[in-house]
Amino acid sequence: MAVIQAHSVSRHVVTNAGRLDILSSIDLTIDAAETLAIVGASGSGKSTLLAMLAGLDLPSSGHISIDNVNLSELDEEQRAILRGEKIGFIFQSFLLIQSLTALENVMLPAELAGAANPQAQARELLEKVGLSGRLDHYPNQLSGGEQQRVAIARAFIGEPEILFADEPTGNLDRHTGEKIEQLLFALNREFGTTLIIVTHDDRLAKKCQRIVHIDSGYLTEPAGHE
Amino acid sequence: MSNWLVISWRLLRHELRRGELTVMALAVTLAVTAVLSLSIFSERLQGGLVARSGEFLAADRVLSTRQQVNPAWLEQATEQGLDYAERVTFNSMVFAHEQLALADIKAVTAKYPLRGELEVAEQPFIAGAATAYLPGPGEAWIHSGLFQQLPLALGDVIEVGAKQFTVTKVLTKEPDAGFNVFNDSPTVLIQYADLAATQLIQPGSRVSYNYLFAGEPAAITAYEDWLVPQLDDLNQRWRSIRDDDSPLASALERAERFMLLASLLGVVLAATAVAVAAQRYCQRNYDAVAIMKTLGGTRSFISRVFTAHLLLLSVFSIAAGLALGYGLQFVVVSFVGSQLGYVLPAASQGPWWLAIITGLLAALMFSLYPLLRLMRIPPLRVLRRELDGSDLGRWLHWVFSGATIYVLMVLYSRSWLLSAALFGGGIVATVVLLLIGRLFIRASREAGMQAGSSWRLAMANMQRRARENSLQMLSFSTAIMLFLLVLALRNELLEDWQNQLPENAPNYFVINVAEQQVTALQEVFRTEQIEATDLYPLTPGRLMAVNGELVADAVNKSDREEAGQTELRQGFGRELQLTWRHTVPPENKVVAGSWWPTEASNAQPHKSVSVESRVAKRLNIVVGDVLTMQVGAEEFTVPVSNIREVNWNSMQPNFYLIFSPAAFADIPVTYIASFYLPSERNSELYSLFRDFPQVSLIDVDSIIQQIRAVIGHVSLAITFVMFLVVFAGALVLVAQVQASLEEREQELVILRTLGARSRMLAQAVTYEFIVLGALAGLIAALAMELTIYVLQTQVFAMPATLHVRFWLLGPGIGALVVASLGWLTTRRLLAKRTAALIRNLN
Repeated sequence: MAVIQAHSVSRHVVTNAGRLDILSSIDLTIDAAETLAIVGASGSGKSTLLAMLAGLDLPSSGHISIDNVNLSELDEEQRAILRGEKIGFIFQSFLLIQSLTALENVMLPAELAGAANPQAQARELLEKVGLSGRLDHYPNQLSGGEQQRVAIARAFIGEPEILFADEPTGNLDRHTGEKIEQLLFALNREFGTTLIIVTHDDRLAKKCQRIVHIDSGYLTEPAGHE
Repeated sequence: MSNWLVISWRLLRHELRRGELTVMALAVTLAVTAVLSLSIFSERLQGGLVARSGEFLAADRVLSTRQQVNPAWLEQATEQGLDYAERVTFNSMVFAHEQLALADIKAVTAKYPLRGELEVAEQPFIAGAATAYLPGPGEAWIHSGLFQQLPLALGDVIEVGAKQFTVTKVLTKEPDAGFNVFNDSPTVLIQYADLAATQLIQPGSRVSYNYLFAGEPAAITAYEDWLVPQLDDLNQRWRSIRDDDSPLASALERAERFMLLASLLGVVLAATAVAVAAQRYCQRNYDAVAIMKTLGGTRSFISRVFTAHLLLLSVFSIAAGLALGYGLQFVVVSFVGSQLGYVLPAASQGPWWLAIITGLLAALMFSLYPLLRLMRIPPLRVLRRELDGSDLGRWLHWVFSGATIYVLMVLYSRSWLLSAALFGGGIVATVVLLLIGRLFIRASREAGMQAGSSWRLAMANMQRRARENSLQMLSFSTAIMLFLLVLALRNELLEDWQNQLPENAPNYFVINVAEQQVTALQEVFRTEQIEATDLYPLTPGRLMAVNGELVADAVNKSDREEAGQTELRQGFGRELQLTWRHTVPPENKVVAGSWWPTEASNAQPHKSVSVESRVAKRLNIVVGDVLTMQVGAEEFTVPVSNIREVNWNSMQPNFYLIFSPAAFADIPVTYIASFYLPSERNSELYSLFRDFPQVSLIDVDSIIQQIRAVIGHVSLAITFVMFLVVFAGALVLVAQVQASLEEREQELVILRTLGARSRMLAQAVTYEFIVLGALAGLIAALAMELTIYVLQTQVFAMPATLHVRFWLLGPGIGALVVASLGWLTTRRLLAKRTAALIRNLN
């Protein structure tokens, strides 16, 4: 069953130099619990596509729906609520709130959604990612790998249907990156989440069930891989 | 507790612990501390001084008239909760043992005096004791001087008009005796109820009716507002201690203006620090908001989080400010109160509300724009870091800040017009300062190209960030300028007061000196090395007409009405002491027309008169007008040759009218002078004046000591204000340097990563701040000089002066403080390992 559907999605911006097309006529359907890698060179438009699929930005034309809800028909507040209910995020630069501890960062999405007692769930998740001893540490007291683990725990706290990961290992060394990948896929399997990874790392992309390429704003889908 | 409040509290707790909000919290706390402590202190000091000063009037306000007033006015006073008493005074002959003497008869009602105390004794010429009573029916209390003029003893009977009185006490002190060296008639105090029986008050009698009022300040003000518009300016005069020409009133007024201005400057500085810190704080939270929005936080939820955050911070800061402010004024008031020797009255609730409103305005209004911008951060910032909500026009920031500053100005000055003038001037000054800042930055770039690598880097940075730097320079300049302004004004005020009452200010007046004793007395002053003023001849006289037009007090009311003359020129309303001399007296300055030629010149002696400027304005007299004077039985006319400003604060004989010597010839006169005799030489007084038995000596030393004490305490208060302003200025500088260094952080990290040595980077930043600070200081000195000129001439009524040393002090302070702060912050930054710096940036 499709959780995300994109139909004829285009995105352009108008600059002083004229109109710049970033994405053109994208059609994409992503099924529940599927793992999908969006790959492409730098500047190809993959992060823009992720932003629109996650409702962070809207297409210039075409439409995107999540669970059959057209994102273009929602206002900013409604899209935020939808993200809070259905989507988790992991970013290349971790994007933790610097003035909150690891535990508080993980609790945040649940608190934003109005959950009653998110602390127990946050502790459990941090334990799962191996950070039970770092609950009260601030982000700048953690290594890059540890920060990304906190970000993963935060992404899974609301048990989201969909998880977007933007270059999740891009800021990490290979060894740490691999550990993070293992953790990500393990949790994905445990929670049955639809995982969409934006990466230019072929090795990571190949771990996904499906890969789509973006090249100069156009989406191409190669023949299936293992 | 709601989730948004939990998150808000958590963010606040962490950020307070990490020091992110320290500057902002300190700035709000400082603004509230300054406003509360200054307002309470100022109100209590003023209340104390006015209450004490009220003792010189025997009331809070006095209405003096030539006729009895409408009884409805007095009923209104009672209705508004005021106490009132009546005092009727006139001159009359007093008979005793078949001799007579001129006395000042004073009939008073039961509540007299409303402020201060009467003092009485059982025999003349000894110190008296305070009494709460008044003479009984048929009794009179008389001044020691009358015992000298008439062969009297206590228990004797005196006749005043048709009524006989028994002398029961010697009156040694009256609170409203005033300081009038020309009035030497002894007082006879009787009950008001006995006045009619004297049959001395007849139509046309020269009687002064004084209605004394006292009560709560608000009630007094309300009554004043109701009554004053109904008064007839010609015949009725409403007086408070502030209408007095005493140095005390003048010192109080200037100090009050200074404190008002300095408080406002302190608050504007603190608000500037809040604005800078809030901007920085919000910038640091751009990512947090973007993350929250990405993770499902709605705009309303996040607005509640950060608004509550700001409100919590404001509440804590305001509470801390209120506690500190109250404590501070308590310490200062205790000290000043012990010095003054009396307990200062409690303050009203006004200062508390003023402090709270100021704190809220400073905390909320100056951070409103950064907060609105923060709320507009799009979630997409998590992927596109350059998005910063900048679509919200910066003009909105200027509107919020400008409106808040204007509201604060109105709150403090209570004048829409004055605030508008100050505000307009401030906008012009800001634009000019920005332009000058840009020019200086451009010029420094040229100069920097000739220097070493650190300097070149510093100057290149300055040029590249020209827009940001000129805004920073504006903020530095404002802080330094306000600091210099308060410092200079404080010094000017103190110096001015000290000049007015120097150590050797005359402390004795000598009056009733006969013409034939002038030379001998001058010789005594010379041989005994006593510093004395000139001896001024005196004769009583009246102003009858101006340009042939009779003045009101030259004609009694019934005659006026009979002649149909209802609109007459205002006169002095009393007899004046007139003098004449060849030269302009010291502490006098001719402001229109010219002084008459001196005796030594060949010009023909001519009759002229010089008129004191305020009187000239009140009576509408200009140079060239002709005054008709009556001296004794003789009337003569004299042209006005000049208008003259007088320093009434000097303890010297001062006069409303001074004539050229040619205007007076062969008129019997006495002379007056003042002199300074150190207290250790007091014992010499008897021997010095032994040969001048009819000369009267008046000791004004106690008045001078009182004025000095008041000025001393007011000086202390303004020094206290100055320190608060300095602290507020320092906060602005710290906030600005911190914000400015954050902008440089990324660049420092890149240069450091590329191998630039920490020392060179620290030097480059320090040099940049030295130049920024020095340029800001120079601009500040320029702006201060202009501002102080306006303030001195328009607000403080002081002569304008140039402050050359501040031209060096401004750039010096600017360079030193800004560079030190910059160096300290950079050093802390560069002390971290490069990896840690990079992680921080991420």
